[in-house]
Amino acid sequence: MRYYILFHPEKCCACGACAVACMDQNDVDVQHGEKGYRAVYEYEDAGGAMGECTYLSISCRHCADAPCVAGCPTGCLSKEPSTGMTVAERSRCIGCHSCAMACPFGIPRFSAGDGKVLKCDGCFVRLACGLQPACVRACAFGALTCVDEAEFRRLEENHAISAMLRAVNQTG
Amino acid sequence: MLTLEQKIRAKIPGADTGIEIKKTVCDICAPDHHCGIDAYVKDGKVLKVEGTREHPYSHGSLCTKGLCSREYIYRSDRLRTPLRRVGPRGAGRLEPITWEEAYRAVAEGLNRVKKTYGPHSVAFFAGHGKWFRPMMQRFAYDFGSVNFGSDCSVCNVSLIFARIISAGCNYSPDIAHANTFLGWAFGGYYSSYHDVQEVAALKERGGKVILIDTRVTPAAKNLADLFLQIKPGTDGALAHGFAKLIIENGWMDRDFVEQHTFGFEEYKAYVQQFDRKTVSKITGVPEELIYEAAKLYATNGPACINEVCFNLAHNYNGQQNYRAITGLNALTGNFDRAGGALPAVGTYNMRSAGFPTREGAFSGANRPEHPRIGEGRFPLWDMLWGEYQAVTLPEQILGGGDYPIKALFAAGLNVRMLPDTNKTLRALEALDFFVDTDLFLTDAAQYADIVLPVCSSFERGELKVYPGGYAMMTEPVIPPLYQSKTDVEIFSELLPYLGLKDELLEQGYDACIDWILEGTGLSVESLRAAGGAVKAPVAREYIPGSYVAGGMKTPSGKWEFHAQMLDRFTQSHHLEPLATYVDCFADDRDPALAEDYPYILTTGTRVPNTIHSRLHQVPWARSLRPSPLLEISRSDAQELGIAQGEPIEVETPQGRVCAPAKISGKIQKGNVLLVHGYGACDASSLLSSDHLDPYSGFPCYRSSRCMLRKAEE
Repeated sequence: MRYYILFHPEKCCACGACAVACMDQNDVDVQHGEKGYRAVYEYEDAGGAMGECTYLSISCRHCADAPCVAGCPTGCLSKEPSTGMTVAERSRCIGCHSCAMACPFGIPRFSAGDGKVLKCDGCFVRLACGLQPACVRACAFGALTCVDEAEFRRLEENHAISAMLRAVNQTG
Repeated sequence: MLTLEQKIRAKIPGADTGIEIKKTVCDICAPDHHCGIDAYVKDGKVLKVEGTREHPYSHGSLCTKGLCSREYIYRSDRLRTPLRRVGPRGAGRLEPITWEEAYRAVAEGLNRVKKTYGPHSVAFFAGHGKWFRPMMQRFAYDFGSVNFGSDCSVCNVSLIFARIISAGCNYSPDIAHANTFLGWAFGGYYSSYHDVQEVAALKERGGKVILIDTRVTPAAKNLADLFLQIKPGTDGALAHGFAKLIIENGWMDRDFVEQHTFGFEEYKAYVQQFDRKTVSKITGVPEELIYEAAKLYATNGPACINEVCFNLAHNYNGQQNYRAITGLNALTGNFDRAGGALPAVGTYNMRSAGFPTREGAFSGANRPEHPRIGEGRFPLWDMLWGEYQAVTLPEQILGGGDYPIKALFAAGLNVRMLPDTNKTLRALEALDFFVDTDLFLTDAAQYADIVLPVCSSFERGELKVYPGGYAMMTEPVIPPLYQSKTDVEIFSELLPYLGLKDELLEQGYDACIDWILEGTGLSVESLRAAGGAVKAPVAREYIPGSYVAGGMKTPSGKWEFHAQMLDRFTQSHHLEPLATYVDCFADDRDPALAEDYPYILTTGTRVPNTIHSRLHQVPWARSLRPSPLLEISRSDAQELGIAQGEPIEVETPQGRVCAPAKISGKIQKGNVLLVHGYGACDASSLLSSDHLDPYSGFPCYRSSRCMLRKAEE
């Protein structure tokens, strides 16, 4: 089963509940410089209208055709077969940063200790056990959701149909 | 196939991993939430938290603060033993002692003051924590002191006053059945996700949302159909502007007003002066938006108002502004109507669950007859609230009252709760004896003679009630850490040391709860056996309209636009029975102040990562916002030559602080926002202890005059 973690910016407020849930799930020690795998941002366009801003929650996109996986020379990064999440087998990492160069979102980071890759694993073990990823489970506003392949296709279709309808209505 | 090691690392609950889910509640924020927590526990240690899906109120959600619970309860500086002060007050030099030594010292210190000055010279004070309040109040009265006070002195009770003197009861917005939601200072995203969920559902079913705030909030961005950005402390003028439009355009509920209100003609005549142009000038809201909002609110009912429990109260004109706003409920017939404002019965611990308990009889059982400190200064407070108004406490300790306060028994005192932190600290320094309970050695605790370590909600069992008639008893999910105890254990165990007798309180928390629950069909045993939330047998679904039909609990039996409860204080204290509007700086002593301090400072506001001072030292929470937030407008930044992140100084006649500037389009020119609760950048140190709402006594956290300048490097 392939899963998708979706972000809906119109529901987000950058409260950081997702980021903290990730820290709790992964025992992130921020006091010693560690960071969680998800971060939130409040982006205000200084040239925009009064108060115009965007709230973002950012983590690994778990791309289907993941450039980081393609760029990894050692097979450390791979697509986890049961969930489709992009995961790291850290014992294989040589700290070459190829994945970070390949990732368009700047997601992979490297441990200050062993120099090896650190990234979100999509909580694939939780998913395989029927639980939601920690960040999704924590979002009270529905800004983060996790759907399976069938639901994802349905949403994609609805999205495409709505866009088409809007275009038809506008031109018609 | 997953390996056991993978499952253990991912904290998957189950027999194989040995991880068990245990149920508790979060009590980091206010008692009107207290969301359900699933604690993942292994070997007596919490590994992770999540919201409880089957919880009758929170339905599986937790906010940012609740999700920090694990780091909060396991903070490395949790107090481990009782402590005795060995250095000067405030120096933080304390030594560990045994509970026996601590209890003896507390009894000796309190009884010495009692003997010399009388029992009322010992004041009792409860900080942000609520769960132990009924027992602490009873304990204070058992001791013989009338002086029990709490953070209610600056929190939700001003709003309750406005409702009681208008309608004779407290009430709450019925968002679930409303067509229009008027959110007045609605900060839901960072303080009450439940309300956001309800408002989002309202929008999905085609409802409309009007939001009024001084800043552009996430709610304004994500939920508002109409957003009115208003100048701080001018809310009453806007409400009266709405009222005038509603009356003039025939949008009012004539039947409700004729049958169920008192003083309408006087009110109608008063609001005439609030024409759109005048209101726009006072509030800064464009005229057409005032019209659109009034029309939508009054004609797309049922409509409910989120009157938000505290922030509008924090202005000099706070109480009157609340009354101006809440009057709209009656004018439009939305009071006691489905989808409007529904009367609420207090159940337990400041929460309405739809059934009464014997809480008031329990906590007030042995109340002595004696004037509280500060009595006579805020007569509305004296009339409606049994506690002392805590804003008068520092003054009283420093010798400014009718009788001396020489000792203080505090549970979780925050020195930054009251305006003018230095004055509060001077008062703590002047005490003969001070005992404080807390989880941490706070700045207040460093002034205490004895500090007693207490535990978190994870380490105790307690009664919780929730809307819909629900009640539950939690169980500890881990044993109390180190030598900590519950606050209530401390009150019970101290009684014999103090030479006091209270058979019920001595038996402990469960016995007290059984007494309080008598007549509800519930007991500690039945709740424990149920293992989760159950409906109280006596709980009945409220039928909208029944309160009004039976006559309101006001002198006239009607909604009072002219509040007769205030008539008696008009001569003596200039309290106006109509919700008259005055400027939020009407108490300026010197007209030059407005020129010397041309900006308006708002402290407070909810941020996601903390409430008050509570999570600033929790690393996960702090990592979300490491430095204090001081927000100014783009145009003010430009005028002052300040770039994003540059240090900026805020000065008031009271003091000065410095913080990195956050330049934003969300705040209007002339306004400054400083989040409170930070130790090194103390917003409360900037506030005057004399700039108070004369009705409630509430400090003006939301509107103080200030000056801004670029800080010297």
